[in-house]
Amino acid sequence: MKYVDEFRDPELGRALSGEILSLVEPGRHYKVMEVCGGHTHSIYKYGVDDLLPDNVELVHGPGCPVCVIPMGRVDDGISIAENDGVIFTCFGDMMRVPGSRGSLLEAKASGADVRMVYSPLDALRIAKSNPDRPVVFFAIGFETTAPSTALTLKRARAEGVENFSCMCNHVTIVPPLRALLESPDLRLDGFIGPGHVATVVGARPFEFIPADYGKPVVISGFEPLDLLQSVQMIMRQLAGGRCEVENQYTRVVPYEGNLRALEVMSEVFELRPHFEWRGLGFISHSALRLSDAYAELDAERRFDVPGVRVADPKACQCGEVLKGVIKPWECKVFGTACTPERPIGTCMVSPEGACAAFYNYGRYAREREVV
Amino acid sequence: MNGPACDHGDGCITCGDTAIPLTVRKVDVERGLALCVDDGGQSESVQTELVGSVTPGDSLLVHAGTALQRLGP
Repeated sequence: MKYVDEFRDPELGRALSGEILSLVEPGRHYKVMEVCGGHTHSIYKYGVDDLLPDNVELVHGPGCPVCVIPMGRVDDGISIAENDGVIFTCFGDMMRVPGSRGSLLEAKASGADVRMVYSPLDALRIAKSNPDRPVVFFAIGFETTAPSTALTLKRARAEGVENFSCMCNHVTIVPPLRALLESPDLRLDGFIGPGHVATVVGARPFEFIPADYGKPVVISGFEPLDLLQSVQMIMRQLAGGRCEVENQYTRVVPYEGNLRALEVMSEVFELRPHFEWRGLGFISHSALRLSDAYAELDAERRFDVPGVRVADPKACQCGEVLKGVIKPWECKVFGTACTPERPIGTCMVSPEGACAAFYNYGRYAREREVV
Repeated sequence: MNGPACDHGDGCITCGDTAIPLTVRKVDVERGLALCVDDGGQSESVQTELVGSVTPGDSLLVHAGTALQRLGP
């Protein structure tokens, strides 16, 4: 398949793996954070971490859009879904995220009309086919997904679809990265930057990482060779005493991003003063809500939402996993009380979550090591 | 909905910030939509406003029903 096969070539992979080995200093332990959940998934799926030297550790970051949604927001979504006649739509993984009263999937089982959609456009189609019922889209995702929601809201207005609204949970990537870099319990040597977020925002928003914190960033693609090459580029920077933002994913990411997407986002959304992140707490200016110009399409203004903060379950250590402080298997409930079938924490829900990715692909290798 | 489904075994490509390469088959200029197909023949409707005008045969990087960038020459 074009754009895929050429980035899975085993010979090139072996060569890159050898180059990385030649670049690392023996005796030094390197911690590199892959920010994006899509990268975490690829790393476990293709065993990319097995191709790295023992002293290069990949630390999983907070970039899984499902994993960072706090329980209170799920509760708010369910309370909207329970209104008479409402059709509540969301992406598939989001349906299984537990709130304090269960998940959206469980709300569906109890009679709420909750439907899985593949895109905001699908939700708008449902609204057009059901003009006598309010249709709400539960929007999640980083800057990769936000433009799609923004375009769909503009389309809803242009086509006069009055029964459509959006509960906006879009988040932005830079504030949590800054919070992580300020965190005293985490020492990182560099970052594998989120390729598809950068498709929209470009590489420039990541320049603060080398400028303010002296760490290299390499924007990366999602195939195994993309990830290996990104680690190699980070190691080259470290070996050469450099730190800057480099773009490995040039076949997709222009340095300035997609200006039209940024324009549409700034028309439809505005920054929330603060937003709660699962495990990371409240972070200022880290999420989006609908701007006043789009108030009539805002589900949080159309419906009453409780807006109550709900603490994470005590047993759940998603916060430490999301900050890369512990590995998935170091969580007390990993693979026992918390599994993809019955998740307690969000990291076990989405396959991009570090726990689910490790549960699905990585645990067998680790079990072999232990035996 | 005729796009690829949320596949929990291999990750939900929409929730996971994953974007996929699709090829344009038909264009509806008036509505800013294009019918696109993947290599497996699955088709979906894609919003194209963010990548300018498209023509059949163009390769697009698509996420959540919206083209984010053009691919290749």
